[in-house]
Amino acid sequence: MKPDTPYSTCFADHRPSLNITLRSVMAVFGGYGVAALAAAAFTVGLPLPRTDAVMAAIMLAFLVYTVAVIWVFATATLLRSAAGLAIGAGAFAAWQWLAAPGGAA
Amino acid sequence: MRFDKPRTFRQSISWVHTWAGLLLGWLLFAVFVTGTLSFFRNEITLWMQPELHRAHDDGHAAANALRTLERVGSGAQQWTISLPGPRSNVVNLSWREAQPEQAQGSQSRGGGRQQPGLHRAVMDPATGELIEARQTAGGNFLYRFHFELYGMDRAWGRWIVGIATMFMFVALITGVIVHRQIFRDFFTFRPAKGKRSWLDAHNASGVLSLPFHLVITFSGLMLLGSMLMPTAVSSAYPEDSAAYGRELRGLGNAAPAPRATGEAAPLTAIAPLLAEGERRWPDAGVGSIVVTHPGDAGAIIELRQARGDSLANRAATERLLFNGVSGKLLDAPPAAEPSTVRAIQNVLSAVHLGRFASPLPRWLLFLSGVLGSLMVASGLVLWVVSRAKDAPSAEPSLAPIPRGHRLVQVLNIAAVAGLMIAIAAYFWANRLVPVEQAERNLWEIRTFFSAWGLTLIHALLRRHKRAWIEQLVAAGALFAALPLLNTFSGGAHLGHSLASGQWQVAGFDLTALACGLLLFFAARGVIRHVPRVRPGKAAPAARPATRSPRPAEATAAQAPLPLPLRC
Repeated sequence: MKPDTPYSTCFADHRPSLNITLRSVMAVFGGYGVAALAAAAFTVGLPLPRTDAVMAAIMLAFLVYTVAVIWVFATATLLRSAAGLAIGAGAFAAWQWLAAPGGAA
Repeated sequence: MRFDKPRTFRQSISWVHTWAGLLLGWLLFAVFVTGTLSFFRNEITLWMQPELHRAHDDGHAAANALRTLERVGSGAQQWTISLPGPRSNVVNLSWREAQPEQAQGSQSRGGGRQQPGLHRAVMDPATGELIEARQTAGGNFLYRFHFELYGMDRAWGRWIVGIATMFMFVALITGVIVHRQIFRDFFTFRPAKGKRSWLDAHNASGVLSLPFHLVITFSGLMLLGSMLMPTAVSSAYPEDSAAYGRELRGLGNAAPAPRATGEAAPLTAIAPLLAEGERRWPDAGVGSIVVTHPGDAGAIIELRQARGDSLANRAATERLLFNGVSGKLLDAPPAAEPSTVRAIQNVLSAVHLGRFASPLPRWLLFLSGVLGSLMVASGLVLWVVSRAKDAPSAEPSLAPIPRGHRLVQVLNIAAVAGLMIAIAAYFWANRLVPVEQAERNLWEIRTFFSAWGLTLIHALLRRHKRAWIEQLVAAGALFAALPLLNTFSGGAHLGHSLASGQWQVAGFDLTALACGLLLFFAARGVIRHVPRVRPGKAAPAARPATRSPRPAEATAAQAPLPLPLRC
C-alpha cells in the first residue's frame, strides 16, 4: 500500500495470510453475531404478530448475514471491516433495546 | 488474490465466491444430489420394495381399506388411510391404539418415528390384502441424509448442513454479483476450450435455474431457521422457546378431539362420502381418510384433500368432517388463511418440499436440482482446471502438483463420481441383500458408505484422469444396469410397468438408465480430453507466441477471462 493512502492501516493489513484469516473469522463469526442481533431486533421491532415476526426476522437475518460477509471482504482495510460490523451490531442492539417491551420506550 | 494489495470490488467478491463455494462444495454436492432425489422419495421407496410393484388400484381402495382395518385394527382409537394416487399405487394404513395421557404427550418429540401404540401396514388396493414388504431404508434415507447427514446427533447434522447452506447462499449471491453479463452468459457455451468451457458450463447451469437455486437455498435456510437463528425465537418467546413451534402448528387445525361415547355403532358406507369429496375437490380428489373412534356411536370420518405428499403437508389442505354413523356432513373447515409473511414462508417451503400434486412441477424441480448439482460439480472442477499447470506439450507435466491441488482433485473425484457410485450401490444392495436379513435397512446404508469410502481410497491411489474415468464408467454401469436388476430381482420390469401405466416404477428405471448414459457420456469426455496446448503462455523464449501455429486459438487463450479466477 502506498504511503499516501487515505486509509489508516494496521500491521495485520500488510500480512496477506493474516489479513485473509482475520477477514474470514470476522465474516463467519462477526457476521453471524450481527445477524443474530438483527434477528432479535426484527422480532421485537417489526409490527407483526409474534409468529410472523419471528419468521420475517429469520428471513431478514440471513440477508443481513450475507451483506455482512460481503462487507467484510469488500472493504479496503481490516479496521473498516471491523467498524462496519460494530456499527451494525450496535444499531441492531440499540433497536432491540428500544423496541423491547421492557426497554427504554 | 491478496487482500493486502489494492483490489477492485469484483475481485474481492470473486474471491469470496471461489472459497465459499469450494470449502463446503463437496458436502453441498452431496446435499444437492440426495435432496434432488428426495423430490421422488416415495417413488424411490416404492422401487425399493418390489413386493409392492404388482399392486394396482381398481377404485375400491377406500372400502377395502375400511374392511381390512375392521379386521386388524378393531378397538383402535383412530385409523388413517392414505389412498393410492399419482405417487403411490398402494394404500398406506395406520391405526393408533388408545394410550394413557402421558404417552400421548410425548408423541410429538419422536418426529413421527416411534409413536407408542401406532401400527403401520401396506395394503393392496384391489384385494385388501396386507403386503409384507421387505425392510428398506428407502428414499427416506436419502431424504434424511440431505439435511441431517448420518451417524451423528441430528442437531449436529442439521447444523453442519445449515452452515453449508449459508455458504451456498453467499456463493450464489456473490456469483450473481461477479457476473456482469448474466444474460449473455446464459447463451454462451464454448466447448473444448479448457477453462473457458468449464466456466461457461458453470455459468449456464447456474444461470439457467438461478431462481430455483436461490429459492431452494434460502428456503433450506428457512426450514432450519429457528435452529440456526435462535435469537429470533428467544427474543419473542423469552420464557419458552418451544412455544413458538406449538403456536406455529396450532394455526392450522385446532379442533379439539371428539370423545367416544362408549356405545357401539357400525360405520356408514364410505362411497357417498367420497363422492361428496370428489364433488368439492374435482382436481385434487380425496387423498386420505381419518376415522376417529371407529365402531363407536361418536365416530367421525374426516376426508382430506389430496396433495403430492399428504404426510408432509400440514395446514394448507381442506378437510371435510362427517358423522361416522349417519354420514351427515358436520363441518368443512376452510384451509387456514395465511398472513403475508406466512404465505411467503409457505410458498418457499412448498417449493422446497415439492408439495405439488401434479408431476410436471415435480419433474421441473428435479431437473433444476440436477442443474444445481452440475453447477456445484462444475464449480469444483473449475477450481482445479483454473489452477492446473499450463502444460507445455500434450505430455503430462513432470512437475509435482501442489499438495492442496491434489487434495481438491481427490476430493472432487470421490465427492462427485464417488457419490454416484455410492447411490447406485445403495440401490444394488436393496436387491442383493437377502430379504430375511436382520437389520436389512442398515445393511443398505452400510453399503452406501462403504462404497463411498472405497471411491475415496481409489481416488487417492490412481492418477487423476484415470480415477475420473474409472469411477464415471463404474457409476454409469451400475446405474444403467438398474432396470435389468429390477427385472431379475422381482420388480415390475419396464415392459410391464410401461404397459400397465405404472409410472412410479417405470420413471425410476428410465431415470436410472438416463443417469447411467449421462455418466458414460461424461466418462467419454474425460477419455477424449487432451490437455490443451497454451501457445501464449507455454511458448518458451525460443518460440515467441506470435509465431504460434494456431493464432486464432492463441488469441482466445490470451483473451482476458470475464472474471478473475485466480486468487
